[in-house]
This record gives sequence, C-alpha cells and structure tokens, in this order.
Amino acid sequence: MSLVDRYVAEVGRHLPEKDRSDIEAEIRSTIEDMLEERKDASKPADEKMVADTLEELGDPQLLASKYAPPKRYLIGPDWYEVYVKSLQRVLITALPVVAAVMFVLTLTKAPLDFVDAVGEAVGSAFNVGVQILFWVTIVFVFLERSDEVPYESPRQASRKWTVAQLPKLPKTRQISISETVMNIASIAFLLIWIVLPFTLARFRGESSPVPFLHPNLWNFWLPIFFILMSLTLIHEVFKLKIGNWTPALMATNVILGLSSIIYIVALVTTQELVNPAFLATLGNSAELHKLREVITWSIDISAAVIVGTCVWSIVNSIRLARQLKQKS
Amino acid sequence: MENDELVQNMLLELRRGTLSIAVLSQLNEEEYGYSLLKALSDKGLEVDQSTLYPLLRRLESQGLLQSDWRIVDEARPRRYYVISAQGKAVLSKLKQEWSVMAETMQKMLS
Repeated sequence: MSLVDRYVAEVGRHLPEKDRSDIEAEIRSTIEDMLEERKDASKPADEKMVADTLEELGDPQLLASKYAPPKRYLIGPDWYEVYVKSLQRVLITALPVVAAVMFVLTLTKAPLDFVDAVGEAVGSAFNVGVQILFWVTIVFVFLERSDEVPYESPRQASRKWTVAQLPKLPKTRQISISETVMNIASIAFLLIWIVLPFTLARFRGESSPVPFLHPNLWNFWLPIFFILMSLTLIHEVFKLKIGNWTPALMATNVILGLSSIIYIVALVTTQELVNPAFLATLGNSAELHKLREVITWSIDISAAVIVGTCVWSIVNSIRLARQLKQKS
Repeated sequence: MENDELVQNMLLELRRGTLSIAVLSQLNEEEYGYSLLKALSDKGLEVDQSTLYPLLRRLESQGLLQSDWRIVDEARPRRYYVISAQGKAVLSKLKQEWSVMAETMQKMLS
C-alpha cells in the first residue's frame, strides 16, 4: 500500500493543518472503495491496479487545492489599488529628495565633478527606489493575508444598499500634489545648492575654494533671492494645502511671479554674475574668452526660461482662478 | 479549436452551478463519497472525483449536509453524508427556482 500512503501524504501536504487528518482519512477510504470495486474477490489488488486508481483520482496537488483554494497571488484586488497609490506617493516624494541630497553631497566633495554627482544622484535614487518597492510590497503582502480590508465591512454594507453609501467624490484639486511637492523639493535644493559655498566653486590645490558667483552679489542680490525663494516656498506649501486657485492664492502667485520676473531681468541686465576669479582658474585667455561667451549665453537662456515659466504660471493661475469662480 | 475551448469552459461553469443541486437531491438517503459518485453516474451525471469530494465538505460546512464516520454492514468505517433539515429547505427552494429557469430557457431556446 505504499503508493496509496504516498498519494495521501502528498494530498495532505497541501492541505491546511486544521482538517488535514480528516480529509486524509476520507481520501484513503475512497481509494479503498475504488480498489474494492476493481479487484476480483479472489486476488488482491496489485501495483498496476493501485496506480490506475490513483491516476483516476488525479494530481494530488490539484485535489488538495480544491479543498482549500490557496491564495495564488501576492496582492489581490482588495488591496491592489491602495498598494499602487501608496507606492506612487512614496516614490514621488522620496526619490527627488534623495537624488537632490546625493547630488549636493557629491558636489561638496572636491574636486568638483558634475558627471559624478549626477551618477551618484541617479544611482542612489535607484537603490532607494528598489528598497521602497520591496518594503512597501512586503507590508501589503501581509495586509492581504490579514483579515483587514481597505474599506468598511463590505458584507454589512451590501446587505441593504442605499444611495447614502455611495462614497463622496474625491475632492477635486486644480493643483496637483506631485507638482507642488516637486516644486518644493527643487526650491529647497536650489537654496541649499547656492548657500553651500563649495557647491558653486572651484578648488585649486590646497587653497580655499574660488566661488562661481560674483562676491558682490552677496551684498544685495543674493539675500533678495533667498527672500523671494523662501516666500515662494511658503506659497507652494499653501498651494499644497489649499489645492485650488482661490483668489488669495492667485493674487500671491501673481505678485510673486511679477517680482521674480523683475528680479531676474534686473539681475541679468545690471549685474555681473560670474566671479572673474573663478573664470581665471579655468584656463588661458583664448579659451577663457570662449568660455565667458558660453556662460553668458547660458545665463541669458536660463533667465529667459525662468521668465517664461513665471509668465505661464501667472496666466495659468488667473485662468484657473476664474474657472473656480464660475464653478462655485 | 478555439470554439471547443470556449464551449468547454462554459460547460464547466454551467455544471458547477447545477452540481450542488444534484448532490443535495441525491442525499435523502445517506451515501459515502464513492457510492454517491456511482449513484450520480448511474443517473447520467459524470462528476470529477476531485470536484465531488471537496464539494461535499463545502456543503457540510455550510450546514446543508451532515456527515459521520460510521460502520455500515460490518464494512470499513466510511464517512457518510446525508442532507440536513436546512439542506432540505434550501433544496426545495432551489428546485422551484430550477423549474422556473428551465422553463424560461426552454422558451428562449426553442
């Protein structure tokens, strides 16, 4: 009977502990019934007959799975949507911050190397991303196997359904969360980048770093820049919290936008931005001339882009604020 | 080829729904798993064993069947299943529903 024993044990192995022995006994009894019917009264069941009988019963694992269908998925439909949303939210917030921090940290190390910093930022963002993916998934795998469900007791609710149970429409937002989070992260990043003296500087041997920005800027223009950026940062936090272009929010946006435009235009047209000493570290006069051109050119382009963005932001906020007014 | 597969899948679903009714209807007298399989087969309903036995347990856990390990006629102990009072009530309701459905389908398909 060793074949039967092995068959029963294989079924039992895939059954839940709770009713394993009982189901095993029943299957064994069934196999004996089948064998009894097949064999002649005279001669006992032989190996071949047992094999045929067991094959008629079929794959033991399949048989066991019909007693207690196991969960053949990591995260089921109950939790899937919450899982994906959580992942998105965590990744969108964490990765830019990690990348920005690593970028800055690498830049502070001498010698200044942008390629290295970008590589460091991308690499660590990837690593952190994989870690987040793993741990969030693990948490949801456990949630899936707990008794918890991400909504209120569905069975009670479905007994007598009334329209009152319809969930409220999600609050509509004109200002997306991810957009504001991105803005806050990039402003914070920009502030850190400029404040740290080494990040925008060039090292020369053992001597102190030569800053990229003109030292005169610290007297007036950079403090103003920090004030503007800080105000913008606070403004972004309010955007995140309020979510819609209310009149007050729109007005602040217009004022901030116009101030930024005036500031940028004035800065670029009246001030020398690059420290001559910094340029001097870069090479001989012929190269220097070319380099100076490239730098001036890219500063102008950047300024144009910033002004364009500000204009778009102002127009967009006015448009959306009007839409909001019409709706209410 | 593809149609065959579709038909097979649909038949499977069709049978799955009706099998519970068939099993309940055959358990006025107690039966053990294999004898029930034979009884169903004698009446023309071929059931996969790996479907029938788990179904018996499920119906029992729902309270529609009762079961017992027993020795009948000096044979080996076997697990015998019989319909419960609740099972009888459910079956009579299902029978009504079934005849309505059969009639409706008949009309629709003729």
